[in-house]
Amino acid sequence: MRDFAERLIVYETRENKSSETKTQAAFLVGEKLRPQLAALMGNVGFRALISRALALSNAEIPWLRAVHVKADGSFEALDELGAQVDPDKIFEGRVVLLAQLLGLLVAFIGENLTLRLVREVWPKLSLNDVDLGTGDKNEKAE
Amino acid sequence: MKKPNNAAKHKLPKKVVSQPAKVTIRKLPTGVRGLDDIMGGGIPEFSFNIIAGSPGCGKTTLSHQIVFANATVKKPALYFTVLGEPAMKMLRYQQQFSFFDESKLGKAIRFINLSDVAMQQDLNAVIDEIIKQVMTISPGIVVVDSFRTVVRTKIGGASELEMQSFIQRLAQFLTSWEATTFLVGEYVQEEIRDNPLFTIADGLIWLSQLAERNSVVRKLQIMKQRGQNSVPGLHTIRISDGGLQAFSRTLGLVGKKMKPARNRRLSIGISELDKMMGGGIFEGDSLLVAGPSGTGKSALATQFIAEGLRHGEPGVMAIFEERQKGYTSRADSFGLNLKTPQKKGKLEILYLRPLDLSVDETMQELLDAVERIGAKRLVIDSLVGFEMALAPGFRTDFRESLYRMIGGLTGAGVTVLSTVEVEDTFTALPFSQYTISFLTDDIIRMRYVEIDGQLRKVMVVIKMRGGNHSKDIREYVITDKGVVVIHPRSTDYNGLTTGIPTRTGPRQAQEEERAPEPKAKK
Repeated sequence: MRDFAERLIVYETRENKSSETKTQAAFLVGEKLRPQLAALMGNVGFRALISRALALSNAEIPWLRAVHVKADGSFEALDELGAQVDPDKIFEGRVVLLAQLLGLLVAFIGENLTLRLVREVWPKLSLNDVDLGTGDKNEKAE
Repeated sequence: MKKPNNAAKHKLPKKVVSQPAKVTIRKLPTGVRGLDDIMGGGIPEFSFNIIAGSPGCGKTTLSHQIVFANATVKKPALYFTVLGEPAMKMLRYQQQFSFFDESKLGKAIRFINLSDVAMQQDLNAVIDEIIKQVMTISPGIVVVDSFRTVVRTKIGGASELEMQSFIQRLAQFLTSWEATTFLVGEYVQEEIRDNPLFTIADGLIWLSQLAERNSVVRKLQIMKQRGQNSVPGLHTIRISDGGLQAFSRTLGLVGKKMKPARNRRLSIGISELDKMMGGGIFEGDSLLVAGPSGTGKSALATQFIAEGLRHGEPGVMAIFEERQKGYTSRADSFGLNLKTPQKKGKLEILYLRPLDLSVDETMQELLDAVERIGAKRLVIDSLVGFEMALAPGFRTDFRESLYRMIGGLTGAGVTVLSTVEVEDTFTALPFSQYTISFLTDDIIRMRYVEIDGQLRKVMVVIKMRGGNHSKDIREYVITDKGVVVIHPRSTDYNGLTTGIPTRTGPRQAQEEERAPEPKAKK
């Protein structure tokens, strides 16, 4: 799942010229998914899901413990932390969070529907070789 | 000779008073097997409908089926979820159904969550959001699930007039935008009178769940439908892997082709019995074979089917008391091969013994089998077993449903043989414990009689509607050929129908200790 999350970020970095760094691209991936998922499940539903993803990520990325989810599903204190934490660690945290979110989606609605949601946000992204069903959503990066 | 007048040859047509053409209301498929028939062909296009009922009745599944059956990229469906079942859960569970086509999600079917608007703002904000989405997407189908929660959330702050105005606005807007709408909600029937929603709606589909003893049965009723006739009454529905399936009270038999002329007689497979019936059973008749256990009703039914197969008439046997293997083995012992016709698709033996069956869905299974193989002969063995397989709540409807099914099948030219077990009382000759003789054209009664220290079997044709028949009471045996009628009628006894006749003629010499009827091979 983490590979897939990274792939989305790499794709966003390449496609979106305004994102100068991969950390910014990682932020954009989350921001692009948020309205898509909120339209489907409402802000309350999205907030619940992202909170769970954040809680699952905390075990692996300790600095994420300082982050909180706002009512609209966006993050509080993430920007402030960005100035204090190493950019690579920030990036890693974003990847893990995204992987957890995608993992939750796969667990709830299955791989096919999750990929369909992703495809709606990034219609040009090739997902033919993606297999989300076999990986553990909590897998750690190699 | 007077020349014909050209003008006369080309007479002007009479002036026709032109009538404005009636609007043709297109009917959308429901995607639910059996429901289109119940609704009189489908859902009227651009109608404003309510799908109501208590929790667990299948409201969301029904609305999903309608959406998946109709949504296209060109004419998409908008599915608004409001505080009811969360969309994630809905997708999680609904994708288990076979009708769920994930390729439609996104472009043809869009889920939009209105929970935040419903919770934080007023009814106008809700309708504004719906209007915004509908104007953007221009959907063919709109579902609001659950509409009840929209209303319930806002009713405290809104007067009844405001509520009515909200519903009116919504209905008018969605119809004007050529959307067929479904508002899904948990309602109770007491609300129908006072809730303005039910007045404004064009259609009202009511789902319910009834428990009786240990069984639960779901029902559907079209309580209101503007513009077309629906089949009245409660119809059974079942939710399985394919989603909802509805079983019309008319079993979809209305409008089927009419009964052929009753001029062909079919052999029952027992030549002497054919003679007793005046030359066989009329094609398209319903024959009831009544008798106590062990008198050979199933054997006779097997011979009836086998005879049809010999003449190229496919058959269906619905068996409720015995397994298929027992049936084919008995047929083998009579020299009747049922396995080959089964393999060739000329015979279907349905073993129907599940619990909680509704009478209509059982009958639908029979009708499907009849249609599948083009059956000309149908055996129901037995009516008692059939009734036992039904959920308790349906047993009271059994006769009525049976009447409809037999009437429909025989009307379509299928010849039906039903067996029924009756207890021999030795004082009377009942035909069945049900008052079902009215639904049969012909009745054959089999029974035991005590004669010369033996319990023998006799049969008599009680009734042949529209034809003459023998009045003889004939003795028969079950041999390795099946049921074989032996001996002409006996004039040496009185009171054979009681089972304990009295001798009036001379006593015949008795053979010693020889089995009078060889047992059929196991």
